[in-house]
Amino acid sequence: MDRVLRLGIDVGGTNTDAVLLAGDTVVASAKEASTADVTTGIARAISAVVASRPGLAREVAAVMIGTTHFLNALVDGSHLAPTAVIRLGLPAAAAVPPLSGWPERLRASVGGHVFLCHGGHEYDGRLIAPFDPAEFRAALDAAHHAGARSYAISSVFSPVAPDLELAAAQILAEELPDAPVSLSHEIGTLGLLERENATAINAALRELAERVTDGLVAAVRAARVDAPIFLSSNDGALMGVEYARRFPVTTLASGPANSMRGAAVLAGRSTCTVIDVGGTTVDIGVLEQGYPREAPDDVSVALVPTNVRMPDVISLSFGGGSVVGGSAERPTLGPRSVGLRLRQDALVFGGDVLTATDIAVAAGRCDLGDRSLTRGVPRPLVDAVLGGVRQSVADAVDRMRLSVDPVTAVVVGGGGAIVPDDLPEVAEVLRPDHHEVANAVGAAVARVSGEVDRVVTVTGTGARDAVEAAAQEAVDRAIAAGARPSTVQVVDTVRLPLNYLPGEAYRVRVKAVGELALQDPPPELRHG
Amino acid sequence: MAERRIERRIEREDVDAFAAGAAVLGAGGGGDVRVGAHLLRHLLADRSLRLVPAADLAPDGIVVHTGAVGSPDVISERLLSPVDLARAAAAVAEQVMGPIRAAAAFEIGGLNALVGAIGAIELGLPFVDGDLMGRAFPRLTQNTLALNGVAPVPLAVASPAGDVVVVPLMGPRAVEPILAGITAGMGGAASVAGYPIAAGDLDRMGVRGSVSACIELGRRFLAARSAALPVLIADLGARLHGVGRVEEIVPRSSDAPGTLTVIDGGDGAVVRVDHQEEFLATTVDGVPGALTPDVVAVLDNRSRRPLQVEEVRVGQAVVVCSLPALHAWPESARHLVGPSAFGLVETEER
Repeated sequence: MDRVLRLGIDVGGTNTDAVLLAGDTVVASAKEASTADVTTGIARAISAVVASRPGLAREVAAVMIGTTHFLNALVDGSHLAPTAVIRLGLPAAAAVPPLSGWPERLRASVGGHVFLCHGGHEYDGRLIAPFDPAEFRAALDAAHHAGARSYAISSVFSPVAPDLELAAAQILAEELPDAPVSLSHEIGTLGLLERENATAINAALRELAERVTDGLVAAVRAARVDAPIFLSSNDGALMGVEYARRFPVTTLASGPANSMRGAAVLAGRSTCTVIDVGGTTVDIGVLEQGYPREAPDDVSVALVPTNVRMPDVISLSFGGGSVVGGSAERPTLGPRSVGLRLRQDALVFGGDVLTATDIAVAAGRCDLGDRSLTRGVPRPLVDAVLGGVRQSVADAVDRMRLSVDPVTAVVVGGGGAIVPDDLPEVAEVLRPDHHEVANAVGAAVARVSGEVDRVVTVTGTGARDAVEAAAQEAVDRAIAAGARPSTVQVVDTVRLPLNYLPGEAYRVRVKAVGELALQDPPPELRHG
Repeated sequence: MAERRIERRIEREDVDAFAAGAAVLGAGGGGDVRVGAHLLRHLLADRSLRLVPAADLAPDGIVVHTGAVGSPDVISERLLSPVDLARAAAAVAEQVMGPIRAAAAFEIGGLNALVGAIGAIELGLPFVDGDLMGRAFPRLTQNTLALNGVAPVPLAVASPAGDVVVVPLMGPRAVEPILAGITAGMGGAASVAGYPIAAGDLDRMGVRGSVSACIELGRRFLAARSAALPVLIADLGARLHGVGRVEEIVPRSSDAPGTLTVIDGGDGAVVRVDHQEEFLATTVDGVPGALTPDVVAVLDNRSRRPLQVEEVRVGQAVVVCSLPALHAWPESARHLVGPSAFGLVETEER
């Protein structure tokens, strides 16, 4: 039995989509309503695609899942574990305590248990102050009694010297063997506050990650698919279930990353601009050599500043379900949207709300519902709204452009009809088949990456050696994550000097990417 | 005689604008304002900071300047400590044998604009509406007091570990190496207090009104940040030199400035930006444009955030623009803040 099919699943707030791919070709696809328990919706979507031919379930070589669970939990402040954030850095780094600057509601949702202990390093590896195990145990004790169930540890300059975080984790394992621990040097780079925030977010999501990954595995197995399971990460690459359980923070931006990668594959382009038109927003991103471009700045997640790397996306506050208001002279569109009720509320479906979709139907740009129901909409208003959409989208595409070269734009998503074919400064606008399941396709075609991001202090020719060592390690990590060794390539190498310091300190960042080894999953992945 | 003024205060909701203005005036140097903004927001959660022009203080009242020195990377990890700023200021006060009446910022560009405010809050003193540079400069002595022959001493440097070094006397040439040595010993960054000066002299020799001007600039920047570029440029009172993609970066070396080369996306013009720690000068197709002490700012064209010199990447879409510093530097200051102070060769008049 040759296993060659990839099963991609996208779990969204509204729909759960599934696609079966042979290479880059869509063999079958399905859209099911998402369910409150999530697993039912997934099981239904899988069943729908594998039912198209007997025995298909056994031909699946790998299952890739993109999910918005974790992002939604943060936005809603729900399902978060009571978390203790313990910073090692006294007597330095005390003026801005952990979780400062978090929105009050989110801070309350994670419990707000913060502690400062002695420790941390200087940039050259000297200790700021010795780590005090007794002090740390006292903090653990206080956190435990306050109800903390998940622990985030940050130590000053841990990207240079992780040893104190590791020592703290050791004590945690002795004292509270079942508590999940998140260490900042495994999650972020230089910049204590942003790294610590990302670590605290990760810690708060750990319990949910256990439940969600268990549920995903159960749903896939219930549909009689026994292939290894992967989750999509922020850059669109894959990670094993075990990794996702430990690092849920790396899944937060998988939605836009998957939609971009899926759009590119469906359109047959590796470098393009992607316009994803949903019900309430239009997300615009750029793909370079098959990967989403990273945001140039630190990205805030649920209004918390972090230095987790995310795809660069501009979100416009209108989509297919947005409510149209105003007049032909001054039309308004969004941010209010009929959302899930489009098929009841929009004019073309017999409702009484004028939406962007009605405008597209009235203009003959798509065929939905009953076009005659838009007869009362003045033509100048139709033209004005479409003109406004065209201008807003074109401006965003222009801001995302990197060069003077002609841009190819790929339009995906359910509301795509509101975007015209003639965008100023855009060479071609593509609308590929299956664009409504682009996210699931993006999950299914993802590759595997390995990344190293650390600070090294070197002398003489040491910097080159440090970069080479980091590159080798990134390649090893990609292979360990399930990449076929012969396909792994280093795609990104950055070496940045840290300024204004004696000696030579560099931040070294290397990323390696490879194809998923479909035939022979590594042993640790065989049991999903 | 001074008319009665409405008392101005810096509130928590002013921090974003203050930080944005300081980032623009940082001209690509002066450290990352974000860590200062975090701390200032935190400190202003339950209080506000009184902002006073030096002219409103008793003329013989002493003002001390506080700030941070060292590596932005170290500051982003160890953060800033208001206690250290106060400790350094107290050591200076002890040297001048008198009470300090107000605190001020060394520079209104970059991180130190915010650190000056943080020092004032910790000391429980009013914050002077002014600074000594009207922008950011890399060296402590590139300021209006130095131009008038005033030395930064007595000066004190404090570390998070509790070390304090007091320097009662040092000549202008010794300031940088001595500060660098002390800072290295303190782990690459430290808090500094210096330039104690009578308010009357500060009013005469300092830059007036630059804190309010910085906050106002930041407000205009934030309001127009998402607008079309010509609107943003006009609202900042800036000149646009080019918008495009960074083609090449030549890093600065110990003996020569570095350059960024940006190819304008509109007309293909070659925009060159010379830099050391800050962006210093622009040329467009060989024609000189802006020049220090004017502020050259390079913005990421996607987020419109003012970029630090070391943040710029090849391929990045950027906006190159310039605006006047908040101080009209006289021709006589050319040796101190003009191109020759940064090792730039002056080819012709701009």
